[in-house]
Amino acid sequence: MAVASSCAALLLACAALVTSGQEDESPVGLTIEVDQEALTLEIGETAQLSATVRDAGGAVVDDARVVYYSRARRSVSVTRTGRVEAYRPGEFTLIALVPSNPGDRSRRPDARALVEIPVTVPLPPIAEVAFTEVPDVFFAGTRPRLDVAVTDTVGARRADVPVTFATSDPAVATLDRFGFLALLDTGTVTVTAAVAAERDALTIEVVENPVTSLVLEVGADMARTGDVLRFTAVAADAGGREVPGVPVRFAVGGETAPAIVAAGAPAQIDADGRFVAERSGTYTVIATAGTHTAARTVAIEPRDVARDVEVVGRGKVLDRRSSDLWVWEGTDGRDYAITGTWGADGHTYFWDVTDPANIEKVNEVQVDARTVNDVKVSADGELAVISREGASNRRNGFVVLGAGNPREGVPVLSEFTNQLTGGVHNLFVDGDHVYALSAGRRYDIVNIADPRNPERVGRFELETQGHSVHDVWVSDGIAFSSNWSDGVVAVDVGGGGRGGTPERPVELGRYAYPNGWNHAAFPYRSQSTGKFYLFAGDEAYPYGGLANEAEDAQLPFRTAGWIHVIDWSDWDDPQEVARYQVPEAGSHNIWVEDDIMYVGFYYPGGLRVVDVSGELMGDLYRQGREIARFVPFDPEGFAPNAPFVWGPQPYKGHIFFTDYNSGLWAVRLEEKTGPGRVIGEPQ
Amino acid sequence: MRMRSLGAAMLSLVLLGGLAAWGARAPAAAAPPDPPARSYYVYVCAESEDEVALVRYGPGGAEVVKTITVGSYPNEIEGPHGINVDPDGRHWYVSIAHGVPFGSVHKYETGTDEWVADVTLGLFPATLDVSPATGLLYAVNFNLHGGMEPSSISAVEVETMVEVARIDTGIMPHGSRLSRDGTRHYSVNMMGGDLVELDALGFRIERRLPLGDGVQPTWVTTPTEAGLVYVTGNNVARVFEVDLRTWRILRTFETGAGPYNLDVTPDGATLVATYKNGDAVGFWDLAGGRERARVSTTRTIPHGVAITPDGEYAFVTLEGVGGDPGTVEVYHVPTAERVGAVDIGKQAGGIAFWKMEG
Repeated sequence: MAVASSCAALLLACAALVTSGQEDESPVGLTIEVDQEALTLEIGETAQLSATVRDAGGAVVDDARVVYYSRARRSVSVTRTGRVEAYRPGEFTLIALVPSNPGDRSRRPDARALVEIPVTVPLPPIAEVAFTEVPDVFFAGTRPRLDVAVTDTVGARRADVPVTFATSDPAVATLDRFGFLALLDTGTVTVTAAVAAERDALTIEVVENPVTSLVLEVGADMARTGDVLRFTAVAADAGGREVPGVPVRFAVGGETAPAIVAAGAPAQIDADGRFVAERSGTYTVIATAGTHTAARTVAIEPRDVARDVEVVGRGKVLDRRSSDLWVWEGTDGRDYAITGTWGADGHTYFWDVTDPANIEKVNEVQVDARTVNDVKVSADGELAVISREGASNRRNGFVVLGAGNPREGVPVLSEFTNQLTGGVHNLFVDGDHVYALSAGRRYDIVNIADPRNPERVGRFELETQGHSVHDVWVSDGIAFSSNWSDGVVAVDVGGGGRGGTPERPVELGRYAYPNGWNHAAFPYRSQSTGKFYLFAGDEAYPYGGLANEAEDAQLPFRTAGWIHVIDWSDWDDPQEVARYQVPEAGSHNIWVEDDIMYVGFYYPGGLRVVDVSGELMGDLYRQGREIARFVPFDPEGFAPNAPFVWGPQPYKGHIFFTDYNSGLWAVRLEEKTGPGRVIGEPQ
Repeated sequence: MRMRSLGAAMLSLVLLGGLAAWGARAPAAAAPPDPPARSYYVYVCAESEDEVALVRYGPGGAEVVKTITVGSYPNEIEGPHGINVDPDGRHWYVSIAHGVPFGSVHKYETGTDEWVADVTLGLFPATLDVSPATGLLYAVNFNLHGGMEPSSISAVEVETMVEVARIDTGIMPHGSRLSRDGTRHYSVNMMGGDLVELDALGFRIERRLPLGDGVQPTWVTTPTEAGLVYVTGNNVARVFEVDLRTWRILRTFETGAGPYNLDVTPDGATLVATYKNGDAVGFWDLAGGRERARVSTTRTIPHGVAITPDGEYAFVTLEGVGGDPGTVEVYHVPTAERVGAVDIGKQAGGIAFWKMEG
């Protein structure tokens, strides 16, 4: 009873302090001690904490409430009673604290008795070391690389531990710390890889190298920057027979054109012999197989694709921001564009763009929304579907509009909000179906065969932890979603050959890249090569916070991100082969048509038009593939002179795009009449 | 039989409350209040502008002192929804509803309004409050995305901005308020129809109180000194008075359409309610259980309400529709008279009192 009384008195009077350490004394003497000064636990191991709270006189407060929590609960947990369990390796902190005076609303952060208990969960021991992908044959004089997999006791592949290599006979073979095997002579040798007490041994037979000649071939000895040349090296024996399994390594050197000074690395060649140059010049490729070498020289000329851009017409939107667009041929044979608005009052505009020099706004629709982020039109031109965010009743979803003849009217046919209440950011119309993002978490597939009665028929959602989706695009019965850190996911919804339908989507494959910025995707089959490329666009703001002053809110954004080119000819083996990265700006939306890519960039990137013909490899920007650039400044824009090209669409010889701050633009490429203008130095 | 008796009693209380309210719709006749001698500061979210406005009401009327842009993606509307000031007054916290896909809570320093840190929580974190006992912040993950899946309450250590617990609660939790001693947390599940009491020290749901079939609660007040909380029945136009000691509904008040947010004067005498569907603010005399005034708002969709610690003024946010600016209205609580208003960014919503000066 006496203890309880003193406890109550303490709680009322306490204004304890915070420090880290095992025992801390508050200004009024309240202390908390934990029996474990620090913990070291193996993964899966548990421990019990016991805390003692004392009053100013040192008496134990038996029924004092102690709050336990972990600052890394997914790695090490602690229950309300102080039971600890370790899940992941690392250094972590547990907290035990005594709540402060419950009646004191003037709490300060340091007004609690609190101790921190450091927890160390060591990395698990290595369970296995194993050579992987061992070559079938080892030839004396060559230098193959051996890969090693290191796995720990919880099954994780480990790249953070150094592997020690050794051979049983250094006269036959040696290994460097990177795993490169120098085969010096014929004979039998045992190669070992070890981490701590775990090791793997591989006995190999080094055979005589029968190669007597190495021939290097290439399809052409002259090309343009950006063209991919394929070098092949054939190692043959004395009888002229090709020797399979001989490791061949390629290297490239050379000279850029005289006008290009200090060019950096102007050309590259991959392990499979694919070569591409970023700058014009003369390059020599060298192939090496053991003691044999072969060389070929090629001449690279400037790509010279640059063209000028002419502004043809505009549909100005200066009183609010614009978002996406779609251009199509109406059922009356005229050409129309639809544009959305962003952070405004729910307007969508319809434009007659039949004469791009005289763009006319023919209709507008206002829905209960602040942002109409995405607009799409059905292939038959009868229906437009617009997304909603910021609806006043918080039931957003999408709206189906009759768009057959915008000049005559754009009736609202239906709105679909069921389970899409939090906002639809992007959508796509394919046949009778709308693919609409829900909660940035998944996409729902809604049948609009009866546009006045949309009906959800399917859904696709990833299973990864924290998954998110930003956009979806459907082409030839395959839905490509853009999923930030989960990358691009291809799903059969009728055209993928794996039985998928809108009602039962079937995943075909996925590809994620390290930066985690995947924001948009455009599937495209190259007309010149037949390859299936997926152009994946980033959106990123990695350069810090936003301005805190209201007047700065209109300033252009600092952005990053680029276009990733993925060769996805095999669903199970996507290969990222190229990039288009503008150094001064981050990417937004993409369109590819007739082997030309159109990309909208944030300020000051503007609109970029890029030659993506032929095989793609390396850095397309540096290869001189850029055909044109246009930055749509407008001093009367919603934010003056703050261009941000949201997204482009080529249509009937013109390029239409929306600019965030100035609305709809129509431009075209001028005819190329001679060598393109040179910006900076020649390619 | 016992249930029937309780039900009949409840119905009587409802009717009585409703009749009392109906008879007192007009503001009380009183002399216009003098301009305040003090200045009062509130932080207000503009949910469709990604801004927080610092609004002052003082001798010169209501004005926006500063606007703070919040969020991480300048080209996405991320939706600042809930806001609160730490009991120590040094920091304020705002929930950012949308993310990729999870929302977050961001910490700012009061006065300078400099961003300090943030933490990613669940889907659509909404209302939040900070415990004076532990310094832990509690935010409900509202998840209004329509899937009707059970969601959670997050607990955050604000010194490090680390989520230290996530407690499953129900479908679309909203309204996050702590007991005065900071040891109990109250919220409601909008599509679960119940009031939830969380042991804020042990991170465990202790009690649930069903509010009636089909009732969609949206708010619960900070408990009064008498141990009462008030809960909105948003879709049934009612406010429930709940006794925390007995965990029972004591009285039910018939209100205007769509009661959404509530606040109670520090003396427990007056409840101020926003009527989201009725475009009005209700002032309730809690002793008598009657609505002493109902005042139409100057813009549509009233949302949040925060009463000053001296009980003199209620700041009310109005969302508006589409391109409308949001509005902060100031009401003199004793007279229920609107004494000021100022526009802020679109969709004014969450609101938190910061300080008084003078």
